[in-house]
Amino acid sequence: MKSILSIQSITKFYGRIRALHQVAFEVPPGSVFGVLGPNGSGKTTLLGIVMNVLQASEGGYSWFGEPPSEKQRQKIGTLLETPNFYHYLSGEKNLEIAAAIKGHGKEDIPRVLEIVKLTERRHSKFSTYSLGMKQRLAIASCLLGNPSVLVFDEPTNGLDPVGIAETRELIRDLSKQGKTIILASHLLDEVEKVCTHVAILQKGQLLMAGDVNEVLVNEDFIELGTGSGSAGLEKLRTVLESLPGVRQIKGNEQNLQVFFDNGMMDLGNVNQYCYEKGVVLNHLQLRKRSLESKFMELTGK
Amino acid sequence: MLRILQVEWLKVKSYRTFWILLAITLFSIPGVNYMLYNLMNNSFPSGKGKGILGSPFGFPDVWQTVSWNSSLLFIIPAILIITLTTNEFTYKTHRQNVIDGWSRQQFVGVKLIEVFLLSVLTTITVLLTAFLFGYFNNKTGGGSIWRESRFVLFYFVEMLSYSLIAFVMALFVKRAGLAMGLFFIYLIVEQIIVGIFRGKYDIKGVNYLPEEVTDQLVPFPYAKALLPKQANWESHIPYYLLVAFIYVVIYCLASGRKFLKSDL
Repeated sequence: MKSILSIQSITKFYGRIRALHQVAFEVPPGSVFGVLGPNGSGKTTLLGIVMNVLQASEGGYSWFGEPPSEKQRQKIGTLLETPNFYHYLSGEKNLEIAAAIKGHGKEDIPRVLEIVKLTERRHSKFSTYSLGMKQRLAIASCLLGNPSVLVFDEPTNGLDPVGIAETRELIRDLSKQGKTIILASHLLDEVEKVCTHVAILQKGQLLMAGDVNEVLVNEDFIELGTGSGSAGLEKLRTVLESLPGVRQIKGNEQNLQVFFDNGMMDLGNVNQYCYEKGVVLNHLQLRKRSLESKFMELTGK
Repeated sequence: MLRILQVEWLKVKSYRTFWILLAITLFSIPGVNYMLYNLMNNSFPSGKGKGILGSPFGFPDVWQTVSWNSSLLFIIPAILIITLTTNEFTYKTHRQNVIDGWSRQQFVGVKLIEVFLLSVLTTITVLLTAFLFGYFNNKTGGGSIWRESRFVLFYFVEMLSYSLIAFVMALFVKRAGLAMGLFFIYLIVEQIIVGIFRGKYDIKGVNYLPEEVTDQLVPFPYAKALLPKQANWESHIPYYLLVAFIYVVIYCLASGRKFLKSDL
């Protein structure tokens, strides 16, 4: 199946500053694609280029396998950086403008306002909205016309914890409906919780891109504890060192993290082995190596 | 194209500042003319000075008089144009419009059309104003009332040119206050340059500066009997129009190029 978005070796200079350097990746249909990176890594610049508000210095991109045009953007719901609306107009009137540009009538506006819970305040001027409400209106604008592709740049910016959870739920729902979602964020757990694919950017360079499970392959480990202080942990470490398949053991005061060679991890086996060697475990847990630690490792932080 | 204009209509329909500025723009045209009309009549009561002044508010001179008087007000529509244009930058809605599915050409194109439409609107107001003043002051010695009505067309060229200068400034500096200041300063600076070079050194080339060239189309209308008739004015009209047209093309191309090529 052809990619929804194909980015071909995009480079972008702001004067002498290189914001992006030969970034290339593909966004497959139906994926929730996370673009991850710290502040200033080029996420918004990249999305700005594919939405034609910034000009690439080199390289290009295509949507739906076709060269870029405004007709494609009408079929994509995009929230880029900050909510941009006419301050002197009401939320509803602002959505009328967005809908008209996308070539729709007003019929979809009540639905999207209801989704983001702004129905009651739809007649209030945008300038009276709180930061979170502005963000909600921007999300509502993305949903106009029920597009099959959505681009969200930091969608949970300014939202309260309930709003963040709701947005995450919304993204999951949209994904279940088969929509392709491109999600830029510096919030790692946001990406980790919803994304199927991920691209990691640092200082404008693409560090890696692909399926979340592939990017995070071999990164699971087991956390173990004995509850009998440092002496217990020391003994446990000695025992584990002789367990076949163990690649690396890390530790702190409370517990040990044990990494295994590919396919060698078996929690029952570990438990039984320790018991037989005279160590009773009070803590045994399979841990997915979090995207955060992967991210820290990759970006050298 | 109609769909794009409809969106622009949605932007201004509930925008009070737009309606206030538009009302001031349109009502100030009959307003300033009435003011100068009164000033003239009160300065020269009982018909004294008639010989010198002629009858600037009667046909056919009224076309030139009202066009010239109205051209004193270009700063007001300029404020409207600058406000509408820089609003987009302030709210970053120029980005959002493109993101939502306009091409950059469409965005800048519809703004140029708006400037054109506003110029048409003020020109119609000038036409009506001149007609009414002429009608109630009909001191002409006969002949068609439409004689010399070409000055209304010249007013249109002048208005369009000034408004496009305001638009280009708004597009390039992006800030309302700065653009208005720049527009006002340029207005004065060009007059000073023209004053020095033409007045002192008799260099006629300054007549073709961006604003002066359209000012030339509508000369000072009062006390014609006293002022020396400018030599060859009539024969220069095609050149003034041609140069004004070239400027208009340059303004359109410059604004298009700026918006198409830069980061938004």
